[in-house]
Amino acid sequence: MAIRKAGTVSPLRKGWDSLGRQINEMLDGRKIAGRPIRWYLSGWRGGTLVLLLAIVYPFFTALFSDLSQTLIGAGIQVGIYVLLALGLNIVVGYAGLLDLGYVAFFVFGSYTIAVGTAGIAKDASNHVVTLPQFNLWILLPVGALVAGVFGVLLGAPTLRLRGDYLAIVTLGFGEIVPIFFNNVPFFYGALGLTAVPPDPIQTPFGTVDFGSFTDHTAFYYLVLFVIVLVTLFVILIRDSSLGRAWIAIREDETAAAASGVNLVRTKLSAFGLGAALGGLGGVLNGTNLSHVDPGSFTFGISITVLVMIVLGGLGSIPGVILGAILIQFFNVYLLNQLNDVVHNNFLVSNSDAPLHFLANLDFNQAKFLITGIVLVLMVVLRPQGIIPNVRRQRELKGEGVAAEALSVVGALEAEEIGEATVTGPGAEDATEYAGPGSDARGREE
Amino acid sequence: MHVLAAAGTGLLIQQIENGIILGAIYALVALGYTLVYGIIELINFAHGDVFMWGTMVTLTLTQMLGIHGTVGGLALVGLLILFLAASMAFCAGLNVVIERYAYRPLRAAPRLAPLIAAIGVSFILENIAQLWRGADSVGYPPVFPAITFHLGSFSIGLLEILIILFSLALMYALNLFIRSTKLGRAMRATAQDPEAAALMGVNINQTISLTFLIGGALAGAAAVIYTLYIQFVWYFTGFEFGLIAFTAAVLGGIGNVTGAVLGGFLIGLIQALTIQYWPGGNGISWSDAAVFAILVLILVFRPSGLLGQQIPNKA
Repeated sequence: MAIRKAGTVSPLRKGWDSLGRQINEMLDGRKIAGRPIRWYLSGWRGGTLVLLLAIVYPFFTALFSDLSQTLIGAGIQVGIYVLLALGLNIVVGYAGLLDLGYVAFFVFGSYTIAVGTAGIAKDASNHVVTLPQFNLWILLPVGALVAGVFGVLLGAPTLRLRGDYLAIVTLGFGEIVPIFFNNVPFFYGALGLTAVPPDPIQTPFGTVDFGSFTDHTAFYYLVLFVIVLVTLFVILIRDSSLGRAWIAIREDETAAAASGVNLVRTKLSAFGLGAALGGLGGVLNGTNLSHVDPGSFTFGISITVLVMIVLGGLGSIPGVILGAILIQFFNVYLLNQLNDVVHNNFLVSNSDAPLHFLANLDFNQAKFLITGIVLVLMVVLRPQGIIPNVRRQRELKGEGVAAEALSVVGALEAEEIGEATVTGPGAEDATEYAGPGSDARGREE
Repeated sequence: MHVLAAAGTGLLIQQIENGIILGAIYALVALGYTLVYGIIELINFAHGDVFMWGTMVTLTLTQMLGIHGTVGGLALVGLLILFLAASMAFCAGLNVVIERYAYRPLRAAPRLAPLIAAIGVSFILENIAQLWRGADSVGYPPVFPAITFHLGSFSIGLLEILIILFSLALMYALNLFIRSTKLGRAMRATAQDPEAAALMGVNINQTISLTFLIGGALAGAAAVIYTLYIQFVWYFTGFEFGLIAFTAAVLGGIGNVTGAVLGGFLIGLIQALTIQYWPGGNGISWSDAAVFAILVLILVFRPSGLLGQQIPNKA
């Protein structure tokens, strides 16, 4: 069945496999109080553990007194992207619809909070118009609703498209939406708007200020609270009949339709809910950054979120949360730290130093380069992600027919060429693949 | 995009001329998308960035040769041949390497896997270029002499004439190759039915590599033309330009070679005219949105494009 001949595995793949084996051995072999580490990390136990870590994180940052607020700020940005990853996971991971324009919904959320709290806009003749002002608490659900409605509106005409066409159409929307906000004077065009921070709240325990510019702790806990709610919501809906319908569509659209799944309504609900979570993330993002301008919403954001969920494991809630934490913490914090370390180092700053050429290198610029490398390596080497979706892997394992047919073709090709280094994927790759849309059959038609 | 807004009389004709030249470049890049899609049904997202690397190669060669201004006579001919050879070879090689290491391992994987890999490759290519050349665009000297022919209010440059003739020649050569050579027949066979083609003795891997090679070479040629004509080089060109060229391929009917050429010229014209005639006069900032809107509309209402065959929805 497998076409890869003995001894032709690439060294990259070999090293990767041995790394995987070692991690698995550690998770199953090492025991704490009689149970393997994996037991502590799986299911609700793992979730509680992560939540506890997130709760104590601000206290932990106090150990680095001068960096404490920077680290909490990084935590907030990580949290916002966790929301985005959870939302995109509904669309790509569950329903199998590749959305490359997810940033559009982030834009809608961010502008909802900016326009809603600032209460100003410009009319056609460039005069300032006063609008009613709302606060964060009202705009959180409103932002999710606005983005969700746009998700449904944009999704309705496009969802009948084939997977790769849908991807390009969503990409087009993701580009048009920021251009629209940039060019229409109503939202202050390229200048953008400044969101008004929420007022401090008096509680019996003291004043809680979610909008403080100096102490981000309160806002951090707000984001964490929203994440917990959203995660529980996503788990509930995943296990509901709607969630099962999403997965059925992802696995086999025709079979799902034949079994009575309403394709349009099911796809639209995935698109709308995913968009709503993007909007929620956008509202928090707008509050956090306080300034919202169209230039900051790039295709890079859509892809960063996609990388998060591909890295963590499509369709796996712990996976996409982990992916978002890893990528975003790396992007917003570690790269800056790396910059500081490299640039302040005497090996670099001294003009005679051999490593002086590093002085002009900004590691932040390498952010998307690394994103791209991670994306390619994950898709090629471990498409199921760091924490694969167990149920999905099992489902895909059973899908042997298409994979077998394809591997026969692959074997034919390999013989024709007589090329020793063919790494054309054998059946095991095809069956283990947990990527979006399992339309392996599509290639055969 | 960056078409110089022409002023004065003959505005419309001038913009049509701009559109045709832009369209020729779009068409050359669109051919790369359409050939690859036709054969392995992959939107080669990195194709625009391969094109961008062609512009980088042209810029680098120019700088290495110490050219800062206009070149004339035989030196110009030699230079053009050198640029074309270098850029076409580089882009063709790059495209083949990408296929070999990023797409081929995923050939049996679900269809969206190679698309995600292609997006990753696109990011890698873009950002290496950015790290190397910086985030700002780099100016390119006016190497080609400004020789202009006038006909009443209508004027056209020698460069423009050469661009149109050369692009058409390349497209014709491609057409001949696909129609009447053995390798071209293998490409068509593979596009129709890879399994059957393999059984008939077509070397599938080699044919797919060849397709990427040709697509890359056309992008390389387009890159030289683009650099000489637009006169700047920017790491982000690949994304913008690539998406527009992809739109051209879709407009013509993806997988259809004639369609890609037709789509390229149409999109070039639409863009040039949007820039000039958009109500409110803010055409430049809307022209990209207009192209994306066209893309969305075609995909929604006529996914097979103008000349493409009606294919059943594989969902």
